Amino acid sequence: MFKKCFIIMVGLVMSLLSLSVVQMHVDASQPHYTISTDATYPPFDFQDKNNDYIGIDQDILKEIAKREGFTYTLKPMSFNAAAQMVTSGQADGIIAGMAITDERKEVYDISTPYYQTGVAWVVKKGSKIKSLADLKGQTVALKTGTAASEYGKSLQSKYGFKIKYFNDTDTMYNDVVVGNSVATFEDMPVIQYAIKNGMKLKIMNSNHPGNAGWYGFFVKKGDNQALLASFNKGFSAIKKDGTYNKIVKKYLGATQSTFTGSAKDNHSVLGILKANDSAFMRGLWQTLLLTILGIVLASVWGIILGIMGVSQNSVVRGISTTLIYIFRGLPLMVLAFFIYIGLPGVIGAKIPAFTAGLITLILNEGAYTGAFVRGGFEAVDKGQMEAARSLGFTYNRSMRKIIMPQGLKIMVPSFINQFIITLKDTSILSAIGILELTQTGSLIVARNSQGFRVWAIIAIIYLIIITLLTWLSNGIQKKMQ
Amino acid sequence: MSEAQTNVKVHVDKVNKSYGSNHVLRDISLDIKQNEVVVMIGPSGSGKSTFLRMLNQLETPDNGTIVVDGYDLSDKKTDINKVRENIGMVFQNFNLFNNYTVLENIMLAPVELGKMDKDKAEKKARELLETVGLAEKADVSVNSLSGGQKQRIAIARALAMEPDIMLFDEPTSALDPEMVGDVLDVMKDLADSGMTMIIVTHEMGFAKQVADRVVFFESGKIQESGEPEQVFAAPKNARLKEFLGKVMHA
Repeated sequence: MFKKCFIIMVGLVMSLLSLSVVQMHVDASQPHYTISTDATYPPFDFQDKNNDYIGIDQDILKEIAKREGFTYTLKPMSFNAAAQMVTSGQADGIIAGMAITDERKEVYDISTPYYQTGVAWVVKKGSKIKSLADLKGQTVALKTGTAASEYGKSLQSKYGFKIKYFNDTDTMYNDVVVGNSVATFEDMPVIQYAIKNGMKLKIMNSNHPGNAGWYGFFVKKGDNQALLASFNKGFSAIKKDGTYNKIVKKYLGATQSTFTGSAKDNHSVLGILKANDSAFMRGLWQTLLLTILGIVLASVWGIILGIMGVSQNSVVRGISTTLIYIFRGLPLMVLAFFIYIGLPGVIGAKIPAFTAGLITLILNEGAYTGAFVRGGFEAVDKGQMEAARSLGFTYNRSMRKIIMPQGLKIMVPSFINQFIITLKDTSILSAIGILELTQTGSLIVARNSQGFRVWAIIAIIYLIIITLLTWLSNGIQKKMQ
Repeated sequence: MSEAQTNVKVHVDKVNKSYGSNHVLRDISLDIKQNEVVVMIGPSGSGKSTFLRMLNQLETPDNGTIVVDGYDLSDKKTDINKVRENIGMVFQNFNLFNNYTVLENIMLAPVELGKMDKDKAEKKARELLETVGLAEKADVSVNSLSGGQKQRIAIARALAMEPDIMLFDEPTSALDPEMVGDVLDVMKDLADSGMTMIIVTHEMGFAKQVADRVVFFESGKIQESGEPEQVFAAPKNARLKEFLGKVMHA
């Protein structure tokens, strides 16, 4: 029965894998690039009510691509990860409201500056904070890796505040709105847009932006010069014919509902569900796909590790112990970043986010599985092995016929537990930009600022899947007993 | 091989075994002939179980020679699994396979090891169940059996491979007193049928009745061996006298 199940599972995995690696067909006559961006940075980069990525950056890029005759795949994720994608070679360029700084000139080649900006410092509407000096001893929210956060940090020792870091703009704003942090630093146009769209914040230095500077389009130093040249050429063209001004006006002159849907769509759970049903479905599908593939492949890998762990050969046992030690010891997010952002720089090949996420799950969940599989085999009474050997069974036959069936039965509750953990761990993979359920939630909140409602919806969806998964697992367990 | 040698089923010569500094077997030599029933007695920790487990290589000696059925166990070319097919073993804790029914426990080895096809193995298994008096238990789970029943099934499982030699490692020590008789009866019938048997036990009455030879182990050495009448009625070794004084008294 085991053999049959195994074959069915492997078949399922293969077909799902082949689905996920089907690549978009690309016209070979046009150059094709991978461009990373910040997923939540309105008005420069954000998702509209149809879940398309729009914003000043996106419209500029689209116009330039059209005129210069290139195509691109967009990779929206957290800003910091998006920037590292370029330096590691996973992406060819980044447009993400990214300020030109001297430090960045060291590692990137940078386009003509395309937008002037400066840093605003911001407090909650109605806050008692009147000047930077009032921040002493208080907590300030900053976004990892941005020029605005560098500016904020440079003021830290002078004004004596504490810093709390965030990965996306919206969570950072909300931290100030709910009062966990008292202030934040952010690029002026971004915060202006957010306030205009109802974020209950107040700019303290409207007339004196700090560190006034420019946004640019970035490629890795020495690479993708053709892309950079196209961008510059296209940019000067859209600047000259007024397209650029139209784009900027379109976003800075607009109200929220233009891009994010009506209040009716955003102020009730049902409205949010209806307005975003396709986004939720896609996120759910990605989460399910990751979970199913993760569970099946990590279980297979874990069982292999567990079997290696009880091998008669001490080298094989050592390999199993080491692999379990390493991958159980690494935090899932570190492993994901290492595979997705670290590894491609070394091996010189791009790894798609989904594949990187899946490998992360297999290695991490597989290590946990391997540990309890080994433990389960070891928990089978030693006498069972002796009796089998005394009849003339080889070690392998004894394992297969006597020890493993009993061990696997012991392990069933651990497997169910691990399945649930795997499902929950897929949410961590939102960090490398996989558009699963959690990332979908982040994007919707970034657009409509309805944190409570959106996260409640996401939480309930997870609970429903976990309930179904537990239900299914218990059914299987009952059948096995 | 000469006529005299073929009659020897087990040949043990100067075998030693230590666990760390604990020298559990010292220069043990012993020959066991076909159809012979040898009972090994002695206090706990005297090395008799370790010795028994060496005969099918569940333990390996540090040095010395063990030849079973003409196979030198220390020879790397010897396929120990083949040798084991001809040596049945019964354990103190039964060690029935928990993931199979009673009938499957008995049929598993002959079918898996290619000795019989399924039909023949099942026929054989049912005969053996009849022999040990548990025909009605064929399809139950082994966990529903009493200790005495389990041990009789364990004997049937070992016999299914049609071995030449049977090893018994304290087969009644884990049983409730009222169960012991049933198991010993099965063993006695087996001895009467001419099976070569090597038995570690504390059942002195059984030893007296069934053994061709009694071997007394103490401190890792064979202190005395001989026919049961002589060993029990007129022991020479001082330690054997002391041991018998304790166990017979109790």
